Formats: sequence, C-alpha cells, structure tokens
Amino acid sequence: MSLMPRLQLATRMNWVLTAAMLALITIGILFIYSATYAREDGPSHSLYQRQILWAVAGMGAYVFFAVTDYRRLRKLTWAGYGIGLVLLVLVLVLGTKIDGARRWLYVGPIGIQPSEIAKMAVIFVLARRLSQPGENLGRIRPLLEVLALVALPFLLIMREPDLGSALVLLPVTLAMMFAAGVPYRVIGVLVMTGVAMVALVLAILFLPQAIHMTEAHQQKIMKAVGLSAYHRNRLTVFFNADKDPLGAGWNKRQSEIAVGSGGLHGKGYLKGTQNMLGFLPRSVSYTDFIFSVVAEEKGFMGSITILGLFGVVLSCGIHAAIRAADKLGRLLCAGIVTMLFIHVFINTAMTVGLMPITGIPLPLLSYGGTFMMIVMSALGMVQSVYIRSQRAGLSFEQGVLWRAA
Amino acid sequence: MNWSELMDDEGIRLRLLLAGMLVAFLGLASVFWNIQVVRESEFQSSQIRQTMRGVRLPGPRGRIWDRHGTLLAGNRPSYGIALYVEELRQPGHASNTVNKVEAVLDTLGRRLGLKRELTRDEILMHIRKRRPLPLVAWAGIDERAMARWAEMPDPLPGVDILAEPVRHYPAPTLASHVLGYVGRLEPDDDTYDYYLPDMEGRAGMELTLNSRLSGEAGGRLLQVDASGFTHREQSTKNPRPGEDVVLTLDAAIQRLAEEGLVGWRGACVVIDPRNGDVLAMASSPTFPIDALRDVARYGALATNPARPFINRAIAGLYPPGSTFKPLVAFAALEGHRTTPDVVVDCPGYFALGSMRIACWRTSGHGPVAMRKAIEQSCNAYFCTLGLECGYPRIYHMAEAMGLGRKTEIDLAGESGGLLPDERWKQKVHHDGWRSGDTANISIGQGFLLTTPLQMAMFAATIANGGFVYRPRLVAEQTEGELVNDMHWSPENLAVVRGGMHDVVASPVGTGKRAALPDVSVAGKTGSAEYGPREHRRKYAWMIVFAPVESPRYAVAMVLEDAMSGGTSTAPRLHDLLAGIFALERGGQSAEPADGPAVRPTIGPSLDPSIAPDGGRG
Repeated sequence: MSLMPRLQLATRMNWVLTAAMLALITIGILFIYSATYAREDGPSHSLYQRQILWAVAGMGAYVFFAVTDYRRLRKLTWAGYGIGLVLLVLVLVLGTKIDGARRWLYVGPIGIQPSEIAKMAVIFVLARRLSQPGENLGRIRPLLEVLALVALPFLLIMREPDLGSALVLLPVTLAMMFAAGVPYRVIGVLVMTGVAMVALVLAILFLPQAIHMTEAHQQKIMKAVGLSAYHRNRLTVFFNADKDPLGAGWNKRQSEIAVGSGGLHGKGYLKGTQNMLGFLPRSVSYTDFIFSVVAEEKGFMGSITILGLFGVVLSCGIHAAIRAADKLGRLLCAGIVTMLFIHVFINTAMTVGLMPITGIPLPLLSYGGTFMMIVMSALGMVQSVYIRSQRAGLSFEQGVLWRAA
Repeated sequence: MNWSELMDDEGIRLRLLLAGMLVAFLGLASVFWNIQVVRESEFQSSQIRQTMRGVRLPGPRGRIWDRHGTLLAGNRPSYGIALYVEELRQPGHASNTVNKVEAVLDTLGRRLGLKRELTRDEILMHIRKRRPLPLVAWAGIDERAMARWAEMPDPLPGVDILAEPVRHYPAPTLASHVLGYVGRLEPDDDTYDYYLPDMEGRAGMELTLNSRLSGEAGGRLLQVDASGFTHREQSTKNPRPGEDVVLTLDAAIQRLAEEGLVGWRGACVVIDPRNGDVLAMASSPTFPIDALRDVARYGALATNPARPFINRAIAGLYPPGSTFKPLVAFAALEGHRTTPDVVVDCPGYFALGSMRIACWRTSGHGPVAMRKAIEQSCNAYFCTLGLECGYPRIYHMAEAMGLGRKTEIDLAGESGGLLPDERWKQKVHHDGWRSGDTANISIGQGFLLTTPLQMAMFAATIANGGFVYRPRLVAEQTEGELVNDMHWSPENLAVVRGGMHDVVASPVGTGKRAALPDVSVAGKTGSAEYGPREHRRKYAWMIVFAPVESPRYAVAMVLEDAMSGGTSTAPRLHDLLAGIFALERGGQSAEPADGPAVRPTIGPSLDPSIAPDGGRG
C-alpha cells in the first residue's frame, strides 16, 4: 500500500486522545524547562529542547503505529519478547551501574532502559496469548503459561534491581487477564497471592532486622530473593520519613512541601521556590518529580488538570478497547491503558508520600527518551486498534484494501 | 442475559476496569485537595521556614558627651579585609568553596604582606553558620596593609574592605570609672539565624545607659537556596542608631581632678551644689578603658593590689573624720542644744570617764566658741558638743543629709556607707550605745563610714544652704532632683559657713593651703586614722565649696595613707580649684556665674560614627 492512503487512515484516529496526549507532552516540556531553569551547569538548559526532539520523534512513532495494522505486529510478538529478554540480560552484563543498580544500556550517547521495552513486550505477548480463540481461560494450563511469560522478565528486572518497574508488570498482567475474561474467582485467588507476596517481601526486608540478625545474614537473605538494603531503606523512608529527613527522606519531604505549598492556584510558572531554590533535588525534579514542579507552580488546578488529561487518555484507550475489532486489539489497549494508569498513579502518589519512591516516571511529562518513545508508540497502537474497530465506519472496500496491503 | 453473563461480557469488564482507574484518580484528586488546599498553610510555613533566613544588623551605639560637647565615648571604624563567601561560591560540595576561599586568602596574604589567620575549620564553620555575613580574614589591619590594598592593580572578586565599629574613648583614662566599658554581646534572639556582634555596656554609664545607648537592631530577610546560599534579599529593616547622651561631667574639671590624685590612692568628686550635677568623679588608681581589649594589660590591672577597677568615689568606704564636724554643729544648733557663743575650754584632749580623746593640738586650743572650733577642728569642743546634743539628733541630721544610704547616683556598685545606731551596735558588737561612741562619732571616727560622693553631696548641701540633691550624671534638665530640704536657720548656716570659711581663709586655719588669692573658698579638713595601732595610717580628707558668696562648686577629696587633710589634701584642692576658676575665666568652662547650666547643643558631625555593616569599597 502506498503512503498516502495510509496517512489518510491517520485522519480516522481518535483526535481527543491525540489532543490530550499533546497537551500532556506540552505541559511536560514547559515544566522540564522550569525544573532545569535554575541549574548552574549550562548544557542542562537544553534538556527541554532534547525533550522536544524526543516528542517529535515520538510523534513519528505514534503516527507510524497508528497507521500500521496492529495485527501485522502479531507475527513479531515472539521476536519482540525475545529481544526484550535479551536486552534485560544484556543490561545485567553491560549496563551502566548507577546508585548500585544496572538499569541503563548505553548505545553511544543514547541510553535506553530495557525494562521499559520489556513492559511493552510483555503486554504484546500476553495480548497474543490471552486472545487465542476458543480457549477456556478458567483452566490451569493457560494460567500457568501466562504467569511463566511474565515471571521471566519480572525476575530479570528484579535482578537489576528495579523493584518498581518489576512490580508494574503485576497489575498490568492482572488487568489483561481480567479483560480477557479470566473468571472472577481466579482473579481473586491471584490478587490474594499478590498480597501474600507483598507481605513476604516485606517480611524478608524487615523481619531479619526486627529480630536482630547480623547485618551479613540480613544481606544474605535479602540477596537470595534479589532484594537489598537499598529497598529496605527506601521503604523505611516511605513508612517513616522523619527518621532521616536530610538523607533518604529528603526527596519525599521536599516533594510534599512543594506540592502542599502550591495551594489552589500555585506560585506561578518559574516561581516555585522549592523548585527554583533546589530544595526539590535538581537531579530528579525534571524526571521522576516533574509532577511536584507542576503542582507547586500551578497548584491544585495544575494537579487536577494533569489527572484529568490522563483520565481522558485512559478513557479513550478503554473506548478503543471496547470497540476493538478483535480480542488482540482489546487486550492490547487494556494492557497499555493499565500500564499508563499504574505509572501515573504510582508517580503522582509518590510525590505526596502515598507511595514509596520507586523511580517510576510520569508518562509523557517526565524527561526521558526511551519511555517517551515507548509510551507514544503504545498510544499509536491504541489508535491503530481504534481506526480498525468495526464501528469506526470503515468501508468494506477500504478494509479489503488494507487487508490486501 | 443473567447477572453472571452480564458481568462476563468483555465490554462490562473493560468498563469496570476504567471505572476502577477513574475512581483511583478521584481518590488521588481528593488527596491533592487535602494537601494543596486544606493543608496549604502548613506546607507553606514549612517552606518559608526552610528558605528564609534573618540576619540581624546591630544599630550603631550612641555616643557619650560631656556637658560642653567633648566626646567621651564614640565609635570609630576598624578596618579589616573581609571575604564574601557567597560571591566565591563554587558548585558542588562545600569543600570546593572552602578551597576557593583558601586560594583567595593565600593570594591576598601574599599581596598584602599578611600572614593567614583563618584555619580551614573556621572557614567551614563560617560557611555553615554565618554564610551571608562577611568573613573577616584580617581585622584591624595597619596602614601598610591598607596602602597595599589600595595599590592592588586588579581587585579580587568577593573580597572587600570592611569597616567594623569599635567603641572608642578619645582619652582612654579620662573618667574611665564613670564611663565604664562595653563587651561583645551575643544576641539572645532566635528570630535571627545570623547576626553581627553587638556591643553591650558592662560597667559605668555604658551599663546604666545601655538601653538608651544601644541602637535598635535592624535585619535583612534573605531567601536561601537548598545549599544555604543567598538567592535574593527579601526585605530589609534598617538598624536605628542609639541615642547620644550628654553627661553632667566637665571633661576639663574631670582631668584636673584626676591629675590631683596622680600618685595617690583616693577619690575626688566635684558637684555643682545648685542642682547636684556631678562635674567630675575621679578614682585613683585608674585604668585606660581600651586596655580591657588586651588580655595581658587587663590581667595586670585585674591583679593589681591597688584594685584600679574599683570606683573609690562611690564604693570606697572611709570614716569622714573631722569633715563630719559641721554636721554635729548643725545638729546641736538646730536642736537648740547650744548657741554659737557657748565656749568650751580645750586642754588638748577630751576626757570621758577613763577614756581620753586627744585633740590634734596636744597643747590645747584653750577656750573656743563654735566658729573658732570649726576653724581649728577642735576635738574637745566637738566631743563636748556631741554629748550635749545627744546621738539621736546627730543621727537624724546625718540621715536627713543622706549619709548611711546610697545617693542613688546612676552608677552600679555604689555603697551606702554606715551610719550606726544602737540596734546596729547591739547586733554587730553585742553591746549598747555608749557615750564614748557618741564622742567618737562627733569627730567623725568610730563606726561611721562614708563614701567620697556622700561627702561631696554633704559639702554641696552646706554650700547651697540646705538642699539635698540626688547626684546626677546625665544632663537632662536644669532643675536639680531635690531629695530633702534641711530648713536650716540662716543664722546657724552663717555660723557654720563662717567657720568653714575661716578653715581656709584664716592664716592659722587647718585648710589654709587650699586658699585662692581671688576666690573665697570654704572647707573642712579631716584626718581619719585607720590600721593597727603600731602602724597608724591616715585618710586625709577635705571638703570645700567656692565661691563662698554663691557656691558653684562643692568638692570632696580623700587620699589614702596620707599625712593629714590640711597638709596632703588641701594643696591638691588648691590646684584643682585654681584650675577650675582659671577655666571659668578662660571661658572654656563656660558656665555663667549665676545663670542656669546651659545644655550644649551637640552636632552629629562631631563623631565620624559609622554604620555597622560598613560601607563596602
């Protein structure tokens, strides 16, 4: 198929979704500018410019995936999953160690986070696996297969270690199984298991300390399941920030002050004192804590604007899922929407201390190339599902046309 | 479609999923509402607490002037080299900034020829605790270093001359006991995070008038960034300088009084009898006020057995000796226990039972009446008079004239002296009041103790005709603060004054050495014995007032370990009075003979006092 009819397809996309997405990206660039405004080291001033470039590249990916039939990607599922796993292994070997974790793989000047690629790969592979026709999803075999598909990348990400990114996979899996029609009782059992596992992780992190085991023994027990004192520290701070207000508790405390002191209308663009004076650490204010910058400078109105725009994005995504032409498309949308939701929820809740600080970025707003590309590609796929929905008013001829292509 | 089928419909499941997410968002929104709107002020105050820093700026201390506009205490700038750490700030860890400061210090030291005084720890401490304030690298630099500074071709950034105010006493020993001194005040005020040192009066008028002299501190409100460096200045409240105070002291008379005591331990007080103004108050030995800044000099003064820090004029306790006799005369005359014509025959001693009190002229004065008795300071006459009069009258007269209690002068450390009575003797000596006690006190001996200031006020009361004033040091109003009016009869007054006139004027008077050729002087000498019997020593007293016809000066002077009032003290008072009247004639002590004391107008330009933050550059 030639280029022009393909691009004509793009005009059938959900424009509300596109508008909300562009609004969020714009807000992100404006506040990356604000967050890096007061930095002393010159080159960082251009971080917002680089984000613009990433956004332009992301738009390309968005349109590309929107006009590309998601069903053609089905064939690439296993390849994508394989590449995801290979990257996860590679990062463990070749990754750059930052703060004791290997999460970044550098290809020249560009750094990528394999865990973020793996998230999409998992969504794809699950969508494909769960959409096999005529299968009873209440049975044990497909269930185990699904869990095995998730477990592999999950454990690899845990090895980095990146507990936060690994844990994101769990609700995504659960939501996709739910959407796929897995019986409620099975879902119930899985949720209970999840809760039990969280309890177990907490026990491994804190019990040895509580019963006064030696530090070496504690380390050993934690290491056996891929955890470390770092996680314990983060969680300790989460539960009791006052324990170390200048050390690990600093970010949480300062972010809370930034958000809280923003008030109803905020202190004004480029006028957030927490941001401008560096109380909100400059190393994270434009990445994981970009929401705090918005909340401080634009207040509660800014906060609910962002939540509202994401609400629109999520609604459009589920709308596309409901209208999807097939189960693959439906599950793809459900998975992508859930992944976005989890990121938004954990990230914003983290800025006010409702969630531990886990290094989960805010989609479309936080500075960062890989994640921007992945989120925009994923939203492109949602558009692809939407464009090809049976109720989108696509004529038979057009259908034949693109099927033949 | 039944319920379970409905719930299993994929559309329903997706809608449930979306509903769950949107409910979670609503929950988040309510959390943001709570934090950003409901609890806004709480977080705002946390934010202000961590970004706002107050810097306290002391107000310049007020100056102290004498009654004619001579500066007694002011401020002068002390020049130092200061570093402004904020301008030298280096990115990254604080140690980078310390390194930069050290490099600048070394460069500066080389160029100015000064040895580095600051340690690395001190620099770090300054950066941590007093960052917005100038870091003084060298204080009180000399002219050579100043010249090198001025000649430096390219000014170093972040470095400047700093002028700090230092308390300055133009004549450091002049009236040092009255002026007192200041110390460094570390403000006990947690409104401010940083402060510049302030001055606080620790003794003398600097202490008494501290609240008036102290300036009102101002402050700067700074907004700091997360590393504590100043981001911008939020607001400034300018400090207000302290009030200037004019003292009643006359610097020229003060200098004369101090010169009169040189080489002696003792004290001298000059009072204006018309209103109680203290014109001079000297105590010897004295101390240079600026010596207190030097540890070695201070140590030498503090361990000096003559105790130079004691203000003997208000804290020295001396039996008044014969200077007390005019009081006994008033007690007897006003109590109608005698008349000026009653004659007592002096055999050279006074006998009371087995006790004998010698008269200073062992051959005896023969028959003397009151005026002669005062002139000759006859012990036999006054012992007889005292017993005739009775102690209660003497006691009440002394009490009415302000003896035995503090004069309430504006100086800390004043002693009230001792005016004994029967209760006191019973309590301390477990014995009743005896005639011998009365006889002893009648000649100013015994248990009686007075301060030189009290005796100066005593002289002033006789000089002004019976008005007891509170001695004043602050020149505020012309009217004196009247404490008591003695209501002496003019006749009695004339007799006592006549006697005191003869003391100085008569060629055989005990105080004839105080006489001046052109001014009539009245006075009374006194020599009080103290110390062990085999090594008797004397306090040599003399009180005078002049001119007799309209007294403008009343003086008391006491010298420790001297010969006698007539031989030791009278010549010094002669010099003092001669000097005072020479000043009057020369117009320097420009006080009209009978007009009210004129309060001088003081121009603020007299003292180049400086703002505490100094002018930069």
